[in-house]
Amino acid sequence: MSCAGIIGGAALIVASCAPLRAQADCFGDLAGREVCLPRPAQRVVTIPMPSASTFIAVDGSAQRLVGMHPSSKRAIDEGLLGRMFPQARAIDASVAGVGADGFMPNVETLALLDPDVVVQWGDRGDDIVGPLRNAGLRTALLRYGTEPLARGNLTLMADIAGKPERAKELIAWRAATIADIEKTARDIPEARRLRVVYLQRAATGLAAAGANSYYDFYIRLVGGRNAADGLAGAPSINAEQIAQWDPDVILLNGFEERLTPARIYDDEILSATRAARERRVYKMPIGGYRWDPPSQESPLTWMWLADLLYPEAFHYDLRAEIARAYRLLYGQTPSQADLDEALRMPINGEARFYDRFAASASK
Amino acid sequence: MIGLEKAGAQRGRRWIFTDISFMLEAGRILSVLGPNGRGKTTLIKALAGLVPLAAGRRIAPSVIGYVSQSVGADIPYRVLDVVVMGRARGLGLFGAPGAADNRAALDALELVGARDFAERPFDRLSGGERQIVLLARALATGSPALVLDEPASALDLANQNRLLTVLSEVKRQGRHAILFSTHLPQHALSVSDDSLLMLGPSEHSIGPTRAILSEGNLTRLYGLPVRRVTLEDEGRAPIETVVPLFAGAAP
Amino acid sequence: MSLLATASGDTPQKRALPRWAGALAVLALLLVAALTALCIGRFQIAPQRAIAILLSRVAPMTADWSAMDERIILLVRAPRVLLAALCGAGLAVSGAALQGVFRNPLVAPQILGVSPGAAFGGALAISLGFSGFALIGAAFAAGAVALALVGALARVEGRSDTVMLVLTGVVIGALFAALVSLLQFLADPNSSLPAIVFWLMGSFSAATWARLGIAAPGVLAGVAMLWFMRFRINVLSLGEEEARALGLPVERDRWLVFAAVALIEGAAVAVAGVVGWVGLVVPHAARLLVGCDQRALLPVSAALGASYLLLVDSLARSATAAEIPLGVITALIGAPVFAALLRQMRRKELAR
Repeated sequence: MSCAGIIGGAALIVASCAPLRAQADCFGDLAGREVCLPRPAQRVVTIPMPSASTFIAVDGSAQRLVGMHPSSKRAIDEGLLGRMFPQARAIDASVAGVGADGFMPNVETLALLDPDVVVQWGDRGDDIVGPLRNAGLRTALLRYGTEPLARGNLTLMADIAGKPERAKELIAWRAATIADIEKTARDIPEARRLRVVYLQRAATGLAAAGANSYYDFYIRLVGGRNAADGLAGAPSINAEQIAQWDPDVILLNGFEERLTPARIYDDEILSATRAARERRVYKMPIGGYRWDPPSQESPLTWMWLADLLYPEAFHYDLRAEIARAYRLLYGQTPSQADLDEALRMPINGEARFYDRFAASASK
Repeated sequence: MIGLEKAGAQRGRRWIFTDISFMLEAGRILSVLGPNGRGKTTLIKALAGLVPLAAGRRIAPSVIGYVSQSVGADIPYRVLDVVVMGRARGLGLFGAPGAADNRAALDALELVGARDFAERPFDRLSGGERQIVLLARALATGSPALVLDEPASALDLANQNRLLTVLSEVKRQGRHAILFSTHLPQHALSVSDDSLLMLGPSEHSIGPTRAILSEGNLTRLYGLPVRRVTLEDEGRAPIETVVPLFAGAAP
Repeated sequence: MSLLATASGDTPQKRALPRWAGALAVLALLLVAALTALCIGRFQIAPQRAIAILLSRVAPMTADWSAMDERIILLVRAPRVLLAALCGAGLAVSGAALQGVFRNPLVAPQILGVSPGAAFGGALAISLGFSGFALIGAAFAAGAVALALVGALARVEGRSDTVMLVLTGVVIGALFAALVSLLQFLADPNSSLPAIVFWLMGSFSAATWARLGIAAPGVLAGVAMLWFMRFRINVLSLGEEEARALGLPVERDRWLVFAAVALIEGAAVAVAGVVGWVGLVVPHAARLLVGCDQRALLPVSAALGASYLLLVDSLARSATAAEIPLGVITALIGAPVFAALLRQMRRKELAR
């Protein structure tokens, strides 16, 4: 029995029980501890990168978020969230460094923000949690990397925001999307399952996501196969290895700002892969948060990938789906230009099947 | 050929020696004597161009055949390779020794009577053999001036004799000016024409060895009574030597 | 120093073996290593086909292979094999020369601060989002700056003695290592941080003909310079005073050697990151074979270094689907081998 399963289950139980409890301000976090807030949290600091945008989505505003990780801030500035919630751009992002020890909080900076609760990683050792505890700060720990954990994180953020019903709403959307995709993906014959590689790093060196990663999860969800599933984690690989896999589709991470499909098309080896020859190299979009890792927007990632891998089987009108999702998540309606930007139309527009995401193709 | 002119050397602010002048010509040997710490090594190194002079000037050819006092057993090369290194300066930055250099090195080994050592590892030789080989290297430089810092100090009696013999042989050929320091006045008497006594930082005397190594001078130099004696040995010419009167050697 | 001395103990016996035979054996080893490296990899190509592809470049042949086969051999493996061999040879030769000049068998090319400097330059380039030639240029330039700093700081009253040089090298190395840590602290954990970490561990995975073209002039010029100075280095290895007494401008000669080493090390770090241990261990093995004379030591170190890095790189790229960082393998092999070599030398020394 995996820990993820236990925690995910526990989170669901906590979420469903919450309204029944006498003290609605106590809830479990993903490290299995109980977190109690004396009053609804008014000042929240998040250190894990995706949490800031998740909290904003769950809360529907950026009012109560007072501090976040600098990388969260970069994603907000780079993506649509900063435009949808302009006040998010003003939130303090100096509570932690960005690099090797980047999740080590600066306790005194944090204390100045006077947070009711600090969201921190629960799966990266106690060293980054201890200083917070020591300073008497209330912590809520989350874990990361699988769909059950992603749902647990949504629940945790909703609990902190005092809006547990929001988590149920968003989880229901995830479950429905998965069910819908699975219904179609089930019928894709084994021989037609495309081999996909997600390159977690490609600008300098190459790294591919292996088995048990979240990328592996959604590649398989939409009926593909992770060509790199012989790897564990996301280790460095060489071009020769990719040539040996000869993937049908290459996904480029959305983290590396300068990375574009030209990286593949200009490479003497990678340009000879089937993916490159068929122009099926795509850069991951960025909406309210990056679409690669688990976030509140993950169902959009799945639909996007499903549409691209099997355009004859899946028929999501992604622009409409994004608009609907953004009303659900953020209470806002994105413009056509926002959608182009989120889908990275200028970068991906030339790729095969990407024309179905063009404004003209949407109803 | 090689010499000093009103030369002085300092360590920090202290003068090691001052106002030393001499000039040594080819075919002559000069010995330098003095007690420990009086600056013999500094003088030798100044002559070899390794220590800068604080006063006066040094007159010397561009390369000196120098043999240092502390040549360790840590030179990991063949004897011939060590000797041929004497040619380094003439070979230029990117040069490697050729047949002519090897021939010069072998000639030098021949001259010191160590031709047989050529193929042996230098660090496997005895101290005396190493000293002889380094003398060969000094010769191989082609320099007309040989400067040796206490070449015999680590040698047993037989090897001391061997080294002195080699020095007089080199002298006899008349192409080199030889300058060496020593603790033993006997060595000076044995081979040198002239001697330099380092009596104090600003006091020294220089002159023909036999005259300058007087009992009075030596007693003053070393601070213990010293006698000059002439020994008759059967079937050999009488030789002059020096006997220090060490304490407590009563029969 | 005693280690240097012992190695020569075998010289007379070894000389019994004809020189040309030894040279031939070492060359054969290198050739076998290079061909083996060319034939193995993750992309499956039969060895005879790999060699046929190679031969097709010089002799007309009927091609019974795919375009991808050809690209893998000619565009991926060939430059990578050459780059690994070049860097291995360069690093080993630098180590041999430095160990001679410093009269210390524990000296490695890192000692002059060039590697930490170059590492900083490369890491800086990566964190600024540069790759390719900008990265190489930055690594090279920073390595040269580190060497210049060491040179300037170690020079007191116009001379820099050995201890001062080594200590200054350590200080400057530590400074640049701290700057690298600072960059890692500031790097984006999503993108540049893993790239910096992997690059620092050393890899030839990005080898291309263009990169080979960048590294080759530096490495070759440095190696050629050391080769031409082979006899000079022998004389320098006698110690500073001895060399000066023999009429050599020791200070200048030493800096020429350092400059050559910096050229090699900077070029190697720039294209392959920091590859440790080669410059330390390989010269020891070479000395066991041929003794300390640089005239034999340099070529043998070059051949052994090239063969060694070829072996290590072949493992790194083909043992698993993931690239194993070179530094991990060189250290895993290098440390025990070095320990064994040290023990063997010590035993010989005691047996004298």
